[in-house]
Amino acid sequence: MAIIEVEHLNKEFKIAKRETGFVGALKSVVNRQFVTKEAVKDISFSIEKGEMVGYIGPNGAGKSTTIKMLTGILVPSNGSIIVNGIVPYEKRKENAKNIGVVFGQRTQLWWDLPTIESFELLKEIYRVPDARYKENMNTFSDILGLGEFLNTPVRQLSLGQRMRADIAASLLHDPEILFLDEPTIGLDVVAKEKMREFIQEINKLRDVTVILTTHDMEDIEKLCKRMILIDHGQKVYDGDIAAVKSRFGKMRTLIVDVEENGVDLHVSNGELMKEEGNRKWIRFNRDDFSASDVISQITQTHNITDLTVEEPEIESIISRIYQEGFTKEEVPVKV
Amino acid sequence: MDTVKMYTAFTKKAFMRSAAYRFDVWTRLVSNIIFLLMWMSIWFALYAGKEEASGISLTAMLTYVVVSQFLTAVNGAGTPLWELQEKVRTGDIALELMRPFDVPLRYLFADFGSVAFYMLTALVPLYVLLFFFVDLSLPTSWMTWILFIISGFLGFLIRYCIELTFGLFTFWLIETGGIEDIFYFSVSLLSGSVIPLWFFPGWLQTFATYLPFQGIYFIPNAIFIEEISGKDVFISIGIQFFWVAVSYTILRFVWRKASNKVIVQGG
Amino acid sequence: MTKIIEYVRLYFRLVGAGVRAQMQYRFAFIMRIVGMVAAYTGTAVTMWIMLYQFKELGKWNFYELLFLFALAVLSWGFCIILFFHFRSLDTYIVNGTFDRFLVRPINPFFHFMAMKFDIGAAGQFIFSILVFIWVSNAIDIHWQFGKILFLLGAIIGGILVQGGLLVFISAIAFWTTKSERFYWVVMYPARNLTNYPLAIYPKFVQWVTAFVVPFGFVNYFPAAVILDKDTPYFSSYIGYFTPLVGIVFFVIAYYVWMLGLSRYKSAGS
Repeated sequence: MAIIEVEHLNKEFKIAKRETGFVGALKSVVNRQFVTKEAVKDISFSIEKGEMVGYIGPNGAGKSTTIKMLTGILVPSNGSIIVNGIVPYEKRKENAKNIGVVFGQRTQLWWDLPTIESFELLKEIYRVPDARYKENMNTFSDILGLGEFLNTPVRQLSLGQRMRADIAASLLHDPEILFLDEPTIGLDVVAKEKMREFIQEINKLRDVTVILTTHDMEDIEKLCKRMILIDHGQKVYDGDIAAVKSRFGKMRTLIVDVEENGVDLHVSNGELMKEEGNRKWIRFNRDDFSASDVISQITQTHNITDLTVEEPEIESIISRIYQEGFTKEEVPVKV
Repeated sequence: MDTVKMYTAFTKKAFMRSAAYRFDVWTRLVSNIIFLLMWMSIWFALYAGKEEASGISLTAMLTYVVVSQFLTAVNGAGTPLWELQEKVRTGDIALELMRPFDVPLRYLFADFGSVAFYMLTALVPLYVLLFFFVDLSLPTSWMTWILFIISGFLGFLIRYCIELTFGLFTFWLIETGGIEDIFYFSVSLLSGSVIPLWFFPGWLQTFATYLPFQGIYFIPNAIFIEEISGKDVFISIGIQFFWVAVSYTILRFVWRKASNKVIVQGG
Repeated sequence: MTKIIEYVRLYFRLVGAGVRAQMQYRFAFIMRIVGMVAAYTGTAVTMWIMLYQFKELGKWNFYELLFLFALAVLSWGFCIILFFHFRSLDTYIVNGTFDRFLVRPINPFFHFMAMKFDIGAAGQFIFSILVFIWVSNAIDIHWQFGKILFLLGAIIGGILVQGGLLVFISAIAFWTTKSERFYWVVMYPARNLTNYPLAIYPKFVQWVTAFVVPFGFVNYFPAAVILDKDTPYFSSYIGYFTPLVGIVFFVIAYYVWMLGLSRYKSAGS
């Protein structure tokens, strides 16, 4: 039984049409015109316990709308959602006990008070038993290094410290599901790594189901095995990250360092993208040719001293999908 | 001439901005009307049927109230002081200081624009209607109207300079909450905005005449209901000119100190 | 029953946090108290000057006027402490900081209410109590037990009426996000209006402040009972209804707010 079950989810908003000009403003007072916007159109998916899913899409795709419905903040227009056996918007409080939420940019902590006080207050709000509270606090302090700033007011924390505290706070009550909205935004490289490590630990240790929305592709690549891609309110892709790469990312780049400079390189089963002195970049479609095909062709005229084969990054694949939309044909990817 | 064009550009921009947020601007009228109702009822009840008190007729007093509320609305239509104080707190004020114009003048000219919009589209129409429906004693000679407008304008300038000077204390005092309340109350009382100076106890009335605040509301109001007439009008306007000069000088002094502080300390 | 006890405990915990947060800014806190006392003293001074020449406003003398005013200030003080932040709901929604209340397993109204406990409003109590003592002496009010009980009822009713109004205004944020503006343009002037005896206003205004937006029950009606004043157009016992009016009004306000919340949950923002 999946821990999250979403079927034919649909959300429409009525947006008041804005009239321009003075006459328009008067008209709108008398007769308000509404435009219906479909933020989420017929989305279905199910997530098993312990999965780590990346929920991504361009801005305005309907990501946060879906998350709001899953967390019980928003009521769907149509369709059904079942989270851990209950309907979130019907049993909001019960649902709240099962979930943890981290809004990347907005803290859930009490701004003016020492960090530890926020944890104590959340303990009260979520009715966490004393023993469990101590246990969790110890675990989190260990992994996230909270100890150094527990007594500092939240407003004086650096972004990295604040995010660490926020994620610890979201797990204090042992939720089964964790919703992370842009958890690494604005963090430096080291902090991002730490954050990702922590999320992986939690997922492994406690079997917490993680749903992650982010624009940072490294997050996706490093954390999620599964990716749900939505655009214009519709589900565009749902599956393995590896599958995405293999389905959409068929182009490879071969980077070779050759001994002979000045000798023209002709490759019939690939395209010479650029040259810098002895280094050549050659692009080829791996469906048509293997890397060794290309290499053997090069060695006919050149001696190779060093080589690398690059795969396309998930980022470029996805931006390609964003830009060109989802079509049934495979779209060649520029590397 | 270029400088004039630059500052009038601020006026125009402020006017357009008010037009864009016109609903916000017009809702202020609701507050104004409620206060108008309140003060008219209070004075009506204070007179308790008497025809006149201290030589002021009931009709004249009600007219005083109406005019005073009109001027209050005009004076309240500019940039609210807290906006400037916010800029000081966040340090944004430094950005303004980097520009090639004089900041106090800039805000003054911007205020002209916001006031103009508010007056033309809301205040004046409303008060014209009021004049038709309520029995008030309006000035008969056009000379009085002109003198009133001049006097009201001078009052606006005095208020602007004093309020801005006061607001600049945020540069030094981060929290001005309590002092602000005392300040606003003093100004509101001693300016005669709700109680004309004639009804003050003797000692307070004398005290108030030595202060600039009476130039903001009391003098223009009194000119309008012709309680100050003849050459007294010119004397009063002269007093207003005096206070405009003094308060402007003080404003410039405080402003120089304040902007130096920003430049040296970085806000 | 245990649920109520739980909530009360939780309220004090949350509120305690709010107070401690405020105490971080000690200077600002003191300034606020000073400011409030000063502002109210200012109004009192204005009243004094007003009545210096005229002696009476609608048959209320200076001390009676002061009492009327102080009564309003007292219940408004409690109101500020408990509810004032409700008017800023629009800011919370626009900044996205309101959603956090919906993700926690407690009643969102309760949570929002417990977020702030503006203890800086203590200045109001200082003012009111001083005034009460002064006025009671000056016009010889006999504070028998019954009168004190009545006063308490009036204060509680006053808190509920004004609080209820703040809740109503707050609910506007769920529909149009302009709640703060509505407060300053409507409630603030109306509060000033009711600092003076309602008898001086046109009949329509008196009717509205009695039966639509029951400001009259905050100070005018109860004060009239305590000071034994006439309340033209109204029964002289109307002041006794203050607690009841307060409860009913607040409950209605609460339901409207929750209605707004469910609208927010289906329509977004």
